[in-house]
Amino acid sequence: MIGLVHFLTVAAIVFAIGLYGVLSKRTIVGILMSIELMLNAVNINLIAFSRFITPEVLTGQIFAIFTITVAAAEVAVGMAMIFRVYYDRNTVHAARLDEMRW
Amino acid sequence: MNIALLTSEIAVVILALLIIVFDLLMPRQEARRSLGYFAVCGLLGILVYTFNQHGASATVYHGFFVVDKFALFFKQLFIVATILTLLFSFDYIEGLTHNTGEFYALLLLSLVGMMVMASANDLLTVFVGLELMTIIFYILVGFDLRSSKSSEAGTKYLILGSAASAVLLYGMSWVYGFTGSIVLSEIAAHITASPAMLLGLGLMLAGFCFKMSIVPFHMWAPDVYEGAPIPVTAMLAMASKAAGVAVLLRVFLVAFADLQAYWLTIVSLLAGLSMIVGIIVAIWQTNTKRMLAYSSIAQAGYILSGLLAADAAGVKGMLFYAVLYMVANVGAFAVTTAVNNQYGSDKIDDLSGLSQKSPFLAVVMTVSLLSMAGLPPMAGFVGKMYIFMAITDKGYFWIAMLGLVMSMVSVYYYMLVVKVMYSKEAKNQQEFTASVSLRIVALISLIATLFIGIYPGPLAELANAAARSLW
Amino acid sequence: MFNQYALSHAALIPLLPAMSFIIVGFFLRRLPILAATVSVCMSLISFALSLGVGYGVIANNITVDNPLIQRIPWLSISGLTVDMGVYIDPISAMMLVIVTLVALMVQIYSIGYMRGDAGFGRFFAYLSLFASAMLGLVIAVNFVQLFVFWELVGLCSYLLIGYYFHKISAREAAKKAFITTRIGDFGLLVGILFLQILFGTLDFQQLASNVPLYVAEHGTNLLTIVALLLFLGPIGKSGQFPLHVWLPDAMEGPTPVSALIHAATMVVAGVYLVARAFFLFSVLPNAMEVIAWIGAFTACFAASIAFTQRDIKRILAYSTVSQLGYMMLALGVGSVTASMFHLMTHAFFKALMFLAAGAVLHGLPNKNDIFEMGGLRHKMPVTFAAMTIGVLAISGIPPFAGFFSKDEILLAVSQVSMPLYTIAVVTSFMTAFYMARLLIVVFCGSEKPDNQPHEAPMSMRIPLVVLGVLAVIGGYIPYANHFGDWVRFGSASHEGLHWGIAATSTVLSILAISLAWYIYGSGKVSPDKLSRRFSTLYKLSFHKYYIDEFYLWLNHTFVDGLGKILYWLELHFVEGIVNGIAGLPVGLGDLVRKSQTGKLQRYGLIMFGAMLILVVWLVLLSPLFKGVLSGGDY
Repeated sequence: MIGLVHFLTVAAIVFAIGLYGVLSKRTIVGILMSIELMLNAVNINLIAFSRFITPEVLTGQIFAIFTITVAAAEVAVGMAMIFRVYYDRNTVHAARLDEMRW
Repeated sequence: MNIALLTSEIAVVILALLIIVFDLLMPRQEARRSLGYFAVCGLLGILVYTFNQHGASATVYHGFFVVDKFALFFKQLFIVATILTLLFSFDYIEGLTHNTGEFYALLLLSLVGMMVMASANDLLTVFVGLELMTIIFYILVGFDLRSSKSSEAGTKYLILGSAASAVLLYGMSWVYGFTGSIVLSEIAAHITASPAMLLGLGLMLAGFCFKMSIVPFHMWAPDVYEGAPIPVTAMLAMASKAAGVAVLLRVFLVAFADLQAYWLTIVSLLAGLSMIVGIIVAIWQTNTKRMLAYSSIAQAGYILSGLLAADAAGVKGMLFYAVLYMVANVGAFAVTTAVNNQYGSDKIDDLSGLSQKSPFLAVVMTVSLLSMAGLPPMAGFVGKMYIFMAITDKGYFWIAMLGLVMSMVSVYYYMLVVKVMYSKEAKNQQEFTASVSLRIVALISLIATLFIGIYPGPLAELANAAARSLW
Repeated sequence: MFNQYALSHAALIPLLPAMSFIIVGFFLRRLPILAATVSVCMSLISFALSLGVGYGVIANNITVDNPLIQRIPWLSISGLTVDMGVYIDPISAMMLVIVTLVALMVQIYSIGYMRGDAGFGRFFAYLSLFASAMLGLVIAVNFVQLFVFWELVGLCSYLLIGYYFHKISAREAAKKAFITTRIGDFGLLVGILFLQILFGTLDFQQLASNVPLYVAEHGTNLLTIVALLLFLGPIGKSGQFPLHVWLPDAMEGPTPVSALIHAATMVVAGVYLVARAFFLFSVLPNAMEVIAWIGAFTACFAASIAFTQRDIKRILAYSTVSQLGYMMLALGVGSVTASMFHLMTHAFFKALMFLAAGAVLHGLPNKNDIFEMGGLRHKMPVTFAAMTIGVLAISGIPPFAGFFSKDEILLAVSQVSMPLYTIAVVTSFMTAFYMARLLIVVFCGSEKPDNQPHEAPMSMRIPLVVLGVLAVIGGYIPYANHFGDWVRFGSASHEGLHWGIAATSTVLSILAISLAWYIYGSGKVSPDKLSRRFSTLYKLSFHKYYIDEFYLWLNHTFVDGLGKILYWLELHFVEGIVNGIAGLPVGLGDLVRKSQTGKLQRYGLIMFGAMLILVVWLVLLSPLFKGVLSGGDY
């Protein structure tokens, strides 16, 4: 029988993968995708809690819908920003964004 | 359900939409400044209206959204900060972009996000307000199409900010899962000190600290502050940070109050670290905005330290400090804007000879910086005193001492800036001009800083009333 | 109607000049006519309000025992509440009227006196600031407010003495005034802190009710020390011996400033403080004795210096010091009435004399030595009349103002101590003598051929006339209207004139004036011969008993010597330590900022690393570390 713990474990693994991706992906596009993974891990968590902890109210599921919407907005802005960066420097490598430091 | 409580937020949204419409209808040339004045007038009207809501303490949408003195205090703070920022940056914004209407509208919408945050009474509203504010700030930070720094700053802010939001959300999902609710008061009722709960709490704390740029979650701040257009930097420093403080206070003092014993130690360490790092790194900066970024990190540490008292006196100190910090920053950023309009860059060296070219602006800058350093009779002294008195009562003597020592160190680098203004020769003999509205804002900042410093009573009373409404 | 308005809005009295300071100082500095108009108008309204307050006090029967107090909370943190407010009783009402009146007169006078000066606007801004600070001091409700404004008037005094900052002597005098009064202010501050520690409040009214209880319980020993510390402030500010040295030098400022600040108002702040805190001093007999003796000595001592001075303003300055000594003496023997009465008449006639001296200097630029003047009475009749009235008033000739107040002081002193009375009478004799000397030498005698004196312009004559009238009637009218019923401490005194004392002092004064005429006016005796005959005494007096030199020597030997030792220590020990400490944050800052590499994933690594540590700490370790850093018991 698949229970709450399994969902939470999957979510934790997805979150960790996303986090690892944010820190290690070389292009900004990849980093954005990793962030999506992290947000999806949150969604899994929310819906699992909603199903198992508060089955009679749908708080968690509504929360998940908001998260998806916000994530979409974030990606839209993110893509626009990536275009700007590419326009400025002909690259989308995160490591090349180091004009400002110290 | 009383929709009237949402009036001020709705009004700001309508104002923003109107500006977009007008921007489309008006011929380009005329659209420029009149839209800014329109925004300022609209905000002034809304500000006046918010005073109407005083005394109310009610919730809408099943307790998702609350209007009390605490929320109103912050809303008024945000609105005033936006008005002042708009006023001093007309010239700058005109030079920045042709789409001024868009810029104003976005700024107003981010203001809506902050106002929602101030009123948020559950985790979902906190999240939505926070994201509304932050996503718009991503755009605004990258708004300067001429500068590669701006897009770099925008990207950095976006990536790190989204990742931090994901962390915050992940924390919220745990808290939700283990209390079965997202409304703050119900969370407080079901809270237990289980490891999962503490995990959620820790993740949320990290997320909020990111928004407030608390060390070590501050790494984004200097780069973003430096790259963003000045009005956006100003808003980030003053309003966005204050919004972070508002939700942090409500979440931690309402929902997580029973877990105080667990988070107080960490908060004290974070606050102390922020003071130290913000101040010692600021010494090395050569860019005014970057210097102000580090100074804002340190100031965030001072504000956060008020949370250690975990009572009305500490919150009062934090609210008071948020206001005076806003006022001082308005002055500093107004002067930075004026200098930027003149030379097109933000180097501290560009301030040289300001005392001869524009003695008034030099005085404003000096007073603002010294207020942040906490010298009497400027407002910063009183703010620090309120906070430190509140936390020493609770036994955090070491943090107060650290704060005092760091204040002394901070005087050093603030005085470096003052020295540049007063003892270095100007680069050229060009006439120095600054718009009337900028001068007015600078004057307001100067008078307010001195007035609050000399006669803190009324503002302290206001902050006190706001702080008490949390309990 | 107006009385009530003035009473309830008494806070406006200091606020209006403050506004004028801001307007003139920031916006009208370069527009002399507007600057003068604004400050004079504000002063005029202030004066009208003060008069309203004065009438209101009488009409509403506000006495020293039931003052009218308004307070607003200024600062409140746990354990300390400080108010700002307005304290109206007959004493402060009287001070309000005097200060606003003299300030108004001096401002009108300055329009003519300062005409064409490059810093005209600045001058009026400072005058307004001073008026505001002085009025704030007068209406203080507690020691904190008093101290704040006390320092502010000190600052104004500094700014105005150094008004001609291009002159070295003016700069030096300003510094001297500031530093000398600082010494006294330090004592005052320590005294105030002691009061806060002992009583937990600095409010005059609360202190007044707490002090007797404290004395009954703990005796007077500690309190006497506190009171003497407090008294250091007045010693500095009111030019009492041995901190009187700054006042004569303060004459480097423009003459209207000398009239307003260094004669009529600021220097009496010390006297006012003692009167205001009389509930404290009056229960401490030892402190009172000290005050009386310092006052008496200062009076006599300063008069003896004034004997031989040649600079017209310096003579007046020493006479001010001497009269301030008189007021202190009156307080020391327990008579607030006499002291305040003399304060008022002195403000009138001393301001009058200073303004007259200013008119003389205006007519004869760049001449300060009275022996280079002479015969001015023909060319400057109004000024001559004004100065004559002033001299007669200060000498205590009836029916001029000084007669009544001086008599009151002498009467009060005679009831307490015979030696003090003798000193006071001798001083009175000397005062009459040197003032008559000034009058005779400057205005009588033969005209000097190379002088081209001219009468002062209208704006300068009006204040002379107004103050002249007041110097004549300012004594009798209050006397006839029972001044002592209103301005008093404890029960009212109904002594009236004591004819014996009045006659003695009047006769002595007339004698002194005749003597002065005999020596300086008649031409029968050569003053130079006299000074040679008493050459030792003359030199002592002329060089002000070498007190300045003594202080310089003290300074050289002890302060500089100590400085040398400390400097050596500083160079060899402190500097290294300080630089080391200062280098620490700078070096650390450099290290930390190197972590800011600009690479966003590095930032992410640090942040998420920190997040991990934070979470691990919270989940695993925080139960172990509960409350470790708070020191509290959580």
